[in-house]
Amino acid sequence: MTDKPDDKSPPQPPPPQTAPPNLKWMGKTHQWGTRVKPGKHGLRLGDLNVGIYGEVPPVWTDQTRAPRGAVSRRGVPPLGYAIRDKVDLWADSAADMYEEAIQRRWAPAVSVPWNTVQPLPDDVERAVCQVCTELSQYANADVESVTHWQSQMAYGYHEVKQFLATVSFDGARHMEVFRKRALCNGGGLGLEGPGEVNRMILESRGGWTEAVLYLFIMRGLFTQTMYRYLHRYAHNEAERTIFAHCLEDKARHLTYGIDHLRYAVNHQDDQAMILQQLSFIGERVLVRELKDVVLREALTIVFGNGISGAETGAAIFGRMMSDYITRYLATLKWLGVERRTLFPEELSAYLKAS
Amino acid sequence: MAAFPSVQWFEAVRAVFNADESYQGGGGGACNALMGLKIGGQSFLITFEGAECSAASKVQDSDLIAADYILEMSYADWKDMIQNIAQNGHADLHHTLNTLDLGRAEGLSHSMHGDQYREDLFFRYNQTMQYFFDASARVATEFTE
Repeated sequence: MTDKPDDKSPPQPPPPQTAPPNLKWMGKTHQWGTRVKPGKHGLRLGDLNVGIYGEVPPVWTDQTRAPRGAVSRRGVPPLGYAIRDKVDLWADSAADMYEEAIQRRWAPAVSVPWNTVQPLPDDVERAVCQVCTELSQYANADVESVTHWQSQMAYGYHEVKQFLATVSFDGARHMEVFRKRALCNGGGLGLEGPGEVNRMILESRGGWTEAVLYLFIMRGLFTQTMYRYLHRYAHNEAERTIFAHCLEDKARHLTYGIDHLRYAVNHQDDQAMILQQLSFIGERVLVRELKDVVLREALTIVFGNGISGAETGAAIFGRMMSDYITRYLATLKWLGVERRTLFPEELSAYLKAS
Repeated sequence: MAAFPSVQWFEAVRAVFNADESYQGGGGGACNALMGLKIGGQSFLITFEGAECSAASKVQDSDLIAADYILEMSYADWKDMIQNIAQNGHADLHHTLNTLDLGRAEGLSHSMHGDQYREDLFFRYNQTMQYFFDASARVATEFTE
C-alpha cells in the first residue's frame, strides 16, 4: 500500500489566487502611539481619555457606531441616534461609576446567605413577599427604562452608555434577588403593584433628562430609603445582605442621576425650571400611587414584625416617608430646583407628622 | 491592646481590614473616599483607596472639611458600637452604620461642605465602611472612658 494518489484520481484544483495584502487600513488612525499605563487602581476606563480619545464634544454629529477617536468609514448608513447633545446625558462620574459597578458586583446566588432564612410568622412572610413583589417591579422598570433610552444615545458618549449598562444589569440583579427572596421561604409572589410611577417613568417623552428625574431621583430615592429601612428591620442575615448590597447599587444610580441633572442645569438655560415643572407633575402621580394601601400595609407589617405590631410599624413607615421627602427636597434644592410652592399636601404631611 | 480612639487603634483595624480578602468580594471592593470621624472630642481622617484602607490620621476638627462625609457620635455611642461588634464579630442590626444613621435625630453621617455628591459616598460604600468597623472585632481594644 502506498499513500501516493493513484494516477487515475481527478486533478486537484489550483490553490485560490489571493490578492496581495492591501494594508492601507493600517494608516487609518487619528492618533497613533498612545500608551496609557495602568495606575495604582489598574487600567480604568477614565484613564483612556487622553489626547483625542478624551475629547468629548458638546454635540456628537456622527450617526454611526464609530467609536470615539476612530476614523469614520464613508458610506455607513445612519443609525438615527436621537440623543446626540452632551447636555442630554452626560455625567462626569460615568466612567468611574462604571468601574465601580464592575468591581463592586455581587451575585445573589452566592453572595446572600440563603441558609439564614428561617420560617417567619405567616403575616410577616406575606408582607415580605408583597414588598419583594413590588420591588421586583421597580427593578424591572429600571431595566426597561434604561435600555429604552440607552439605544438612542450616541456612541460618542460611551462612558454613559457603559455605565447605564451596569444600571440595567443592577436592575436585573434586583429583580432576581427579590424574586428569590419571595420564593425561598414558603411564600410566593403577591399582588402586582399599581405601577403608576412605573408607567410615568417608562412613558417619559421629554427626553432622558426627564426620565432621570423620575427614575433616579423621585423613584430612586424612594426605593433607596425603603432599602435602608428594610435593611434596618431585616428578619435574617440574608435579608440584611440583600438590602445592604441593593442600597449601594441604588446609591450609584442616584449619583449618576444627580451628576447628570446638575450638569444639565449648569449647561442648559431654563433646565432648573423645566425640572421644577416635571417634579410638580411627577409628584401628583406619586401621590396617586401612594394612595394604594398595599405597599404601605405590607411595610407596616414588616417594620412592626406582624399585624400585632402595626402601630409601631405605622410610625416607622411614617419616619421612612419623612426621610424620603426630606432627602428628595434636599436633592432638588442642591440641584437648584426649588419646590417651595405647590408641593403636594399629601407628601408634606409626612414631614409635619415626624 | 490599642486604645479607642487612637491612630494606633485605627492602624490595627486597617491591618485586619486590608488583609481580609473576603471584604473585597460580594459587593465590597474598590472604594475611594475620605471618611471623617468625630469621636467625643477627637477627630480622625480615614483614607480608602481602591481595595485598601491606606491611611488613618488624627486631625484638627477644622481638617474634617476635607472629608467626603463625617461620622459623628458621642464617645458613649461609639463605645457601644465597638463593643457590640466585638461581642458579635460584626455589628448586629441595632448597631450598623445604616441603623445608627436612621435612628438618630441628627443622623450619623453629615459633611461640612454640603456637597451631596460626596455625602452620598456614605451610601455607595456603606458596606465597605461596615466591613471596616466590623474588622475591629479582631483588634484587642481598651476604652479610655
